[in-house]
Amino acid sequence: MPSASLVFQSIVLGVLLGGLYALLAAGLTLYFGVMRVVMIAHSAFLILAAYLAWYAHRELGVDPLLTLLVTVPLFFAVGVAMQRLLLTRLRPATLTMMSVLLTFSIALVIEGLLGYAFSGTQRRIRLGYSSASLEFFGARIAVVKLIAFGMAAAALLGLYLLMKRSRFGQALRATIQHREAAQLLGIDTDRIAGYGFGLGLATAAVGGTALALDTTIYPSLHWHWIGPLMAIIVVGGLGSVPGAAIAAMALGMTQSLLQLELSTTWAQTVFYVALFATLALRPQGLFGGRLAQRF
Amino acid sequence: MPRGSEALRRSGRFLRLGALLAGIAVALSFPSFVPSPYELTVGIAILNYAVLSTSWNFVGGFTGYISLGHGAFAGLGAYGTGLLVTKAELPSFAALFAAAALVAVLAVPVGYAALRVRGASFVIVSIALVLILLLVFQSWASFTGGSRGLVVPRPFPGMLRAEHHEVFYFLFLALLAVALLAWWIIDRSRFGMGLKAIREDEDKAQSLGTPTYTYKLVVFVVSATFTALAGGLYGLWFGDLDPVFQFSILSGSYMVLMALLGGVRHLYGPLLGAVIVGYGLEYSKVEYGDTPLHLVFAGLLLGVVVMFMPDGVIPAVTGLVARVFRTGETSIREVTAAELRAEREADAPDTPSERRTDDQPDGKREVRQ
Repeated sequence: MPSASLVFQSIVLGVLLGGLYALLAAGLTLYFGVMRVVMIAHSAFLILAAYLAWYAHRELGVDPLLTLLVTVPLFFAVGVAMQRLLLTRLRPATLTMMSVLLTFSIALVIEGLLGYAFSGTQRRIRLGYSSASLEFFGARIAVVKLIAFGMAAAALLGLYLLMKRSRFGQALRATIQHREAAQLLGIDTDRIAGYGFGLGLATAAVGGTALALDTTIYPSLHWHWIGPLMAIIVVGGLGSVPGAAIAAMALGMTQSLLQLELSTTWAQTVFYVALFATLALRPQGLFGGRLAQRF
Repeated sequence: MPRGSEALRRSGRFLRLGALLAGIAVALSFPSFVPSPYELTVGIAILNYAVLSTSWNFVGGFTGYISLGHGAFAGLGAYGTGLLVTKAELPSFAALFAAAALVAVLAVPVGYAALRVRGASFVIVSIALVLILLLVFQSWASFTGGSRGLVVPRPFPGMLRAEHHEVFYFLFLALLAVALLAWWIIDRSRFGMGLKAIREDEDKAQSLGTPTYTYKLVVFVVSATFTALAGGLYGLWFGDLDPVFQFSILSGSYMVLMALLGGVRHLYGPLLGAVIVGYGLEYSKVEYGDTPLHLVFAGLLLGVVVMFMPDGVIPAVTGLVARVFRTGETSIREVTAAELRAEREADAPDTPSERRTDDQPDGKREVRQ
């Protein structure tokens, strides 16, 4: 039985990891909300952002956090372009399936280009504060993990405020809830859906930079992220942001605690176990409503 | 021009039969005129792809549920066969069928979970299946050999390399023939009709009394079994298994790409796609080696197919042919009144022109003036 302080440390690490999962799952939920699209390329963009942060740090010597100023607007624009130029052109009848394939193909292209440009070598950012850590009630927490969590939390809070407080957020939520009704109220749902998609991709930019701070990255890493993220949104209920956040926290913490007893690889299977259990027992997910059951 | 189109249709049938016989002849004689065993291995690889994507097409083509994780069943078939040969010391081909049966049993709970939900969640489950099996087979090294791989003993130990390839060429060909035959039979059956109803509108199919869930589950298991047979045969032929290649999301996506490229609603669609993509893959491997660029090409090709040709090459080409030769099976025919009158008079010069012309044997109705 591991000591109490070790368990406490795992819980703290689980919360920090869960924060990042929650941010990324929120992005996936946004895509699903506005377009009924499961975006497989989300984690590929995550790795792309991490590579951009690493590359900027290596070539220009800037702090990875500064790359956010470029990557967030860039990813937002790419997301809007993707929605407007690619996804809206698919046939509505087969949109769900075909969009999966389309975003999957985008993920393959990104992975291939990253591998071609930067080779398959594992990369890691070395920062002055990389090895620094804080004592927190007997648990040792790396500073970079705290920064990553802070970024994720700030981005999630920003997203929440944007969705709840702004006029755009209201229009976005209306579009998600009932597209036709939103149109009747004079909302340009196509434009709003495009922005929603861009917003989702911007979360990948933030998440990727946070990931680059304390993780070794390589081109095929995105497969290790997409599985857990997909599991989180299904367990939370497709389309439900609070569901995704709660599932992200719960599963992130479980994974972290299981790592005490099992190897890292086996601990990751918790996501898939949760996924299969959810589908077998409660297919609409923990917080999924009418919407989730149909997709 | 009903006579003309009837003749064309009949000649089309002969043409199709001729093409089928020619295809069989080419496939059967291929090993005897290849210049070197290398070309034969390319042929085997393409046949393997063809069996895999035809197996995938049982689910993807009939029900419209797109599984990106069928590579998992191929990997399970290969590993199942290999482990049954090495650990349980079964004869090779008994192990192959036992492994396929085990995969069929395993596909029931997987399908049970995956098919409870539609569309998006199904794809997620199919991807998760590959990722989870990759984790398990890499971590459980004491049983599966882990990343060091698993060596499958050859089924015919005394055989020369070239003969070995030739035997497996014909084995893959036979498996392909069985898979195509099964697809053809289902396509013409009531069961297949129900599956296609699911593809077109699952709610309506259900309300009309089609047992949609059972149908989906049955065809999922059939598809998984054929995929496992192909994977197991590959394991016996190749003789060396690595979890990274066996449980790769890429192998599953190749199946989807090939089937979509050829045309999921057509019997030979996946086969055609496998020939095109499989040849391209082998060619680029020789010309450019193993660079990450093959991912880019695969991704771009998949993207182009999804965006511009979601029905595949076969419908695109037949549509073009139909436009050129005007044999199109459209519901509205473009016939002018003058043409129609001339036709009727040519048809029945001695009867008045009021005679109905819509009693043709093929049930086609002319536009009445």
